[in-house]
Amino acid sequence: MSSSNVWSRSRARMRLFPELLAQCSGEAAAYGKCVASTTTGKQELTKNMCVKEFEALKSCFQSAAKKGVK
Amino acid sequence: MSLSVKSPRSLRCLWRGWRGLSSQGGVMNVFDRSMKRRQKQWASSLLDSDKYDYLRDEVGSRLADRVYDVSRTFPLALDVGCGKSHIAEHLSKRNRKKCEMPTQCVLADEEFLPFKENTFDLALSSLSLHWINDLPGALRQIHQVLKPDGVFIGAMVGGETLYELRCSLQLAELEREGGFAPHISPYTAVTDLGNLLGRAGFNMLTVDIDEVQVHYPGMLEVMRDLQGMGESNCAWNRKSLLHRDTILAAAAIYKEMYGNEDGSVPATFQILYMIGWKPHESQAKPAKRGSANVSFADLSKISKFPTDPQKS
Repeated sequence: MSSSNVWSRSRARMRLFPELLAQCSGEAAAYGKCVASTTTGKQELTKNMCVKEFEALKSCFQSAAKKGVK
Repeated sequence: MSLSVKSPRSLRCLWRGWRGLSSQGGVMNVFDRSMKRRQKQWASSLLDSDKYDYLRDEVGSRLADRVYDVSRTFPLALDVGCGKSHIAEHLSKRNRKKCEMPTQCVLADEEFLPFKENTFDLALSSLSLHWINDLPGALRQIHQVLKPDGVFIGAMVGGETLYELRCSLQLAELEREGGFAPHISPYTAVTDLGNLLGRAGFNMLTVDIDEVQVHYPGMLEVMRDLQGMGESNCAWNRKSLLHRDTILAAAAIYKEMYGNEDGSVPATFQILYMIGWKPHESQAKPAKRGSANVSFADLSKISKFPTDPQKS
């Protein structure tokens, strides 16, 4: 096996991503719905329009990552 | 039409390679070709690189079908951007007598074909034209190396390929960062393809679209498979960084907007197939003006019973 470098370590971390995201499917769906609703509505999507839902998703994701590392 | 086509007796592969000289003036320079070469080399050095061959194999088999639909034999063929010879393995499987096609691989650049004019009877290209900077020039070179009455059969990704990924990333970047950068390389529209082939000198064109939809567990798997196929972005205007937040947001948007009931997400590949012939006297030409010997007004007489002695 080749030696561990920053690219192989970051790729290994990214491999955990789908599992962690699966644990937050509720928050992810809420965020997705918020963004999707702007595509059909009259208003254009601007920065931080769905920031509440995203913060909920991010904190859920980070707590899942902390649990996983232990 | 008879389908008695013998497989080509010899096939030359063209691997994408290094581009030494800078581009001529006036030519579009969209893609970093040296970066693409490095990406392809990395992808082929992976231990499990066979896992990512499914799309190329599928398109290669459909392309081989089209070769068999042409009722001619082709002694010498060229495969531009052959990769692992996905087309050739489908061409030789069909022939029950199991004759091995002698192949030769040449490492060269698609935009500078190192062959003499009027050499090949058949030119093939599967899923490699979408990384060429000067597509009109490359098509013209393919036209040149073909013999008169030779045929070029190609497949390239185009149109609305990966629109789900493109839209998800765009919306996520808009919401998270306030603006967005292109992450998917620009594709040729199917309407432009006819013009491109015509300008290169091909006639009797046939262009059609095929959609291949592949289902993945999530957006990260889509991106990982694209990387494994050697299809990572190499356009000069690509952003070198994708924020963690944006990746998270885009994955959530992708699943919500395009996800299926069982939790998987689809990725669409629109494959454009094209067939073009190099002009030759034996090919049918459009009839000359004024040479018609029936009139459109006679169309109304077609409804009469065929045994009517009156010619329609």
